[in-house]
Amino acid sequence: MTGHRVVITGAGVVDGHATGVVSRLLDESEARRLSRVCRMTVAAGRLALTEAGLDTDRGLALLVGTEFGDMVSTIAFVDGFLQRGTPGLSALLFPHTVMNTMAATTAIAVSARDLSLTLNAPTVAGELAIARAAAAVRAGRVGACLAGGADEPPPLVVATLREAGAGAEVRGEGAGFVVLESLDAARARGARILGEIVGVAWRALAARPHGIGRSPRSRAIAAALDEAGASSAEIGCVYTSASGDDRREVWEGALIDSALAPHRPARRSLSLPAGRHSGVAARAVATAASEAGERLALVHAVARGGSQVAIVVAGPSRVAGSRTRKGLASAEALRA
Amino acid sequence: MRPVAVTGLGVVSPFGAGVKAFWEGISGGVCAVRPVTLIDTEGFRCRIAAEVPDGIGGSARRSRADRLALAAAREALDDAGVARAERAEAALIVGAVGGGMLEAEAWYWQRARGVPAPLPAALASSFPSSHADVVGSVLGLGGPRETVVTACSSGAASLALAADLVADGVVPLALAGGVDALTRICFMGFNTLKLLDPTPCRPFDRDRRGMSIGEGAAFVVLEDAERARARGARVYAELAGYGMTSDAFHVTSPHPEGEGMARAMRAALRQAGVAAASVGYANAHGTATPQNDRIEARALREVFGEGRLLVSSTKSMIGHTMAAAGTLEAVATVLALVNEVIPPTARLETPDPEIPFDCVPRVAREAAVEFAISNSFGFGGQNVTLLFGRAA
Amino acid sequence: MEPKEVFDELKTILVTRLKFDPRRAVDLTLETTLPKGIESSIGLDSLDFIELSIAIEERFGIAMDESADLAPHFTSFDTLSRYIASRTAGA
Repeated sequence: MTGHRVVITGAGVVDGHATGVVSRLLDESEARRLSRVCRMTVAAGRLALTEAGLDTDRGLALLVGTEFGDMVSTIAFVDGFLQRGTPGLSALLFPHTVMNTMAATTAIAVSARDLSLTLNAPTVAGELAIARAAAAVRAGRVGACLAGGADEPPPLVVATLREAGAGAEVRGEGAGFVVLESLDAARARGARILGEIVGVAWRALAARPHGIGRSPRSRAIAAALDEAGASSAEIGCVYTSASGDDRREVWEGALIDSALAPHRPARRSLSLPAGRHSGVAARAVATAASEAGERLALVHAVARGGSQVAIVVAGPSRVAGSRTRKGLASAEALRA
Repeated sequence: MRPVAVTGLGVVSPFGAGVKAFWEGISGGVCAVRPVTLIDTEGFRCRIAAEVPDGIGGSARRSRADRLALAAAREALDDAGVARAERAEAALIVGAVGGGMLEAEAWYWQRARGVPAPLPAALASSFPSSHADVVGSVLGLGGPRETVVTACSSGAASLALAADLVADGVVPLALAGGVDALTRICFMGFNTLKLLDPTPCRPFDRDRRGMSIGEGAAFVVLEDAERARARGARVYAELAGYGMTSDAFHVTSPHPEGEGMARAMRAALRQAGVAAASVGYANAHGTATPQNDRIEARALREVFGEGRLLVSSTKSMIGHTMAAAGTLEAVATVLALVNEVIPPTARLETPDPEIPFDCVPRVAREAAVEFAISNSFGFGGQNVTLLFGRAA
Repeated sequence: MEPKEVFDELKTILVTRLKFDPRRAVDLTLETTLPKGIESSIGLDSLDFIELSIAIEERFGIAMDESADLAPHFTSFDTLSRYIASRTAGA
């Protein structure tokens, strides 16, 4: 593993039903112009940054994954025209019709002036944003980064997708972020280290658009372990993206089994029962770090159509020393 | 940054299919903005756009945007001579905004009028991410797959993200591009904000009054430069560096002093280790709104000083192609380096005296430059600058 | 329409189209200034002004003449209400 070590110094997740926490984190004048999904995104960003104790004036990048963007506002914008013609078009709603509105409004709210990106993908967008962010920190392209995702699936869109044959996903709404920075930067400012992202990879599996792939073979998990200098034996728990689409869940299970064989670590999905949204990835990464103990954890997601993301996470106690594969092997040799 | 070579180009533009038609159009200073045919524009102040002419091809079950994407992606991969086996490792990064909304809108409009409308086959392709899933699946691309949405700079951000993967050694090659088909939402929205010129746009003109909207798709193949040379690939140019910044200022208005724009340009120069004085041409964001052109010119002056730098706006000819713009204009910049001809700013009759640059009015200019930049400054301050260098 | 009636309609527009909290709208007076960043102003920006113009055109059936300088009319609710009232006079 070359480059900077990537650590987690904050996490914040907001679920849709928690309206009270959102209004506590935004003041009225800024909330006025923000749609609901933007408010949740700003709130989650602020929670994460507060935990990290980060001064954003020194630069902050922002990566937001989303499956639905602000479709709620898009539908409202269009309905305005269909109901009342051109006078029904709202200038305030139009900027929300582009999916990067959550990133744009959050960048303003938290002063994130380094790069700001929105990644759109079914199912895996939150994990993808975190993986991309980790790679950028490792390469030294960004200092501190707020990475995660947000979604507010409009009921009409969900129902229509189901009618059109999409999988039976349980969809929630909310936003979540982790704060990522280099270990050196975190130590230099005395930040509390919640865990480390030791390896990431993202690839595409052969599958028809919106389809399930046929093969259990993949390369992302192996590539992430490779970057981490770790073996599958060290994975203590896998956090999957299962959320009610049985066929996708079966495929994901086969992919994980195939990649980690002969080991079969425990599996959990944090997307059920409350439902999956692109902010759940941050919750999974933070949970993985806090529960990993001395082992590693794998945060995994795969989408219909084939996008796959693998993130290998270590807990805070492993970060304390230089726990490379070599180091672990010699520690085991000492114990034997 | 490790050298990244551009080894393939693919375009579907308002001039038709293919890189050749695109270059002929823009080097000829032809304006492709015409009355809109794809959607009903009754009641709107601006009723023109630069549409892709008929003959895109592709299955009728696919959205217009997906068909644009496939055509441009195929041309780029074929142009680069990428074999099927190599595609399994290739990354695919797509800049997109409108996705397949044109078809979803048509369905929704009918529904709203009480006309029973069956779900179109393309409905599941409404989201921006669909282009990557369709192109990736059809063309067998199995590396990292991402769809980036940063409004008007999406098609430039995608090249930057792809360059990262190649430079980091994650993949040997990447297909990166931008796609946008005309949508009612986009057209109505910009009309509502009064940002559109009812006549074809005139970037950098003293009397400019706003944007023209366009549509299209473009892809480039990015490859590790050494690997490209080793396999004897044709290298169009080098992507020497990029800069990506956020104004974090306002959701639609740029920072009044172009602070984020200047930072993006400087970051690109710094990443490439290139001095500002070595850049001979800037393909501007140049939307022709009174605000953008003035602020962009200010940022250009801040970074490059006055005069010397040639500046032109391809949007004067193909309109603002939204998510496709960053890539279409990157291709224009690369072709300018290769052909040693700077495409003009069409319809520039009275250059704005406050803009201290030669904006190449109406007629292309022969000029051999070593480095050129392409600017894309998205709605809400998402700034991307790409820096290209002439192939060695 | 009298300026006072216009003012009441404007307050409604602020709630329905500019998403103001109804309790805040109640506090607005004719003297409340409109531009952003001035004391006792209500913090509107360029996007809000576009939205306000669209809503005024729709609600009062008048066309806002873009070529004219409308800034003096948008100084406060008082000036805006009078301007709109004068444009609807005889309608």
